Amino acid sequence: MLVDIWEGTAPRPEVERFCEMWGIKGPILLDPDLALAGELGVRGVPTNVVVDADGTVREFGAARLDELERAIESL
Amino acid sequence: MEDAFPVGAACRIDARTPWRQVAEIPVGFDPEGIAVDVARRRAFVACSRSDFVSVVDLESHEVIAEITTGAEPIDVGLDEQTGRVFSADAHSDQVTIIDAATLEVETAIPVGGYPSGLTHVPESRRLYVGNSLGSTMSVIDLDSLETLATVDAEPGAGAIGVDPTRNLAVCVNFVAASANLFDTNTFEAVGRLELGIGTCAIGVVPERGEAFIVNSIAGTVSRIDLDAQKVVEEIRTGQAPVGLTVAPAHDRIYVTNRGAGSVTVIGVADGAEWTRIPVGYGPGGVTVDPYDGSILVANAGSQTVSIVEDLLAGRPPVPVVEEPSPWIGKRLPNFSLEDYRTGERRTNADFAEKKYILNFFASW
Repeated sequence: MLVDIWEGTAPRPEVERFCEMWGIKGPILLDPDLALAGELGVRGVPTNVVVDADGTVREFGAARLDELERAIESL
Repeated sequence: MEDAFPVGAACRIDARTPWRQVAEIPVGFDPEGIAVDVARRRAFVACSRSDFVSVVDLESHEVIAEITTGAEPIDVGLDEQTGRVFSADAHSDQVTIIDAATLEVETAIPVGGYPSGLTHVPESRRLYVGNSLGSTMSVIDLDSLETLATVDAEPGAGAIGVDPTRNLAVCVNFVAASANLFDTNTFEAVGRLELGIGTCAIGVVPERGEAFIVNSIAGTVSRIDLDAQKVVEEIRTGQAPVGLTVAPAHDRIYVTNRGAGSVTVIGVADGAEWTRIPVGYGPGGVTVDPYDGSILVANAGSQTVSIVEDLLAGRPPVPVVEEPSPWIGKRLPNFSLEDYRTGERRTNADFAEKKYILNFFASW
């Protein structure tokens, strides 16, 4: 699930343009005030937060594909 | 028996913080390229979402002007000899020329589609521009402002590195995951490199015959042997590296980690990561102020410019170890965020007993 942050300007038109350009059709959440990103201490993009079925954070960061795949396999 | 020097957090921080945070200065939206006017002690910052270049006074650390350019200025360069600042305006397919003394726009030059990288080579009086959608490289005379050549590159052409001693220009293609090599006298293609996806910055060390190219998706920097025209080493960086500059002494390179809010320092000779310097959020453009050697970083996330000092004399004895997030192993905090598609609020409860990934992103 994508979570949009740090657009600076209004996020909706920017997200719309982004989805069109990259053909993204999945769910997208908007966090313009950094309510979640700020609490988690997100410092850059992309940042992947992998959450297990108990709601526990299992991986944080994982910008590289191999890191993300390893995190998913370990769930 | 207790250790004489307990390994506590403070000890670790002392050993691993060979840098100094000097300032973090708010600028416009999505700052990307950055250049320094040494004589006037100013930095010019291309703020792509604001359609202007912010001018930062490097003594007071304040923004003293915002110069309107074309749409989406994404990179910037400065020529001391003519006192001109150049901005690559991606959405206007042009380069805006600004008088560095008066801070007035002088003129604009049309280039190819979506110019996103700009390299200033004062020795040969040239400006090179990588046109991402046009898949071309424009070569402009710094004095006459004439376009000398427009040569074919590949999709995503952007960053360009030049080795004046080899008469070689290397155009890095972000989308094609490649680099094209050109003779700077004849503009003829003289080679091509296959690289990782998301190649987006380059630095050249002519005396070693080497270039360093950032691979943002792979999280590495490729060391290129310019004579053999091949990749000779892959050097790991922090998360999602995007920007790169070579330190004036050519003993290290600075790489911005857009995914980690830090700058990786890599030794040119040893290819080792020496340290990581925290900067603002989502850093991209990076340069070094020749006046005092401080590092200037444009942070697209926090919409600021960081000024930091690298205090390392050389490779430190302590290897770089990334601290894991304190959230690992803890429950994700409760959230309630708007769904872009439906407008409804989504909370943790919607994903109860499901495994999922939150991918924090920005459209820039």
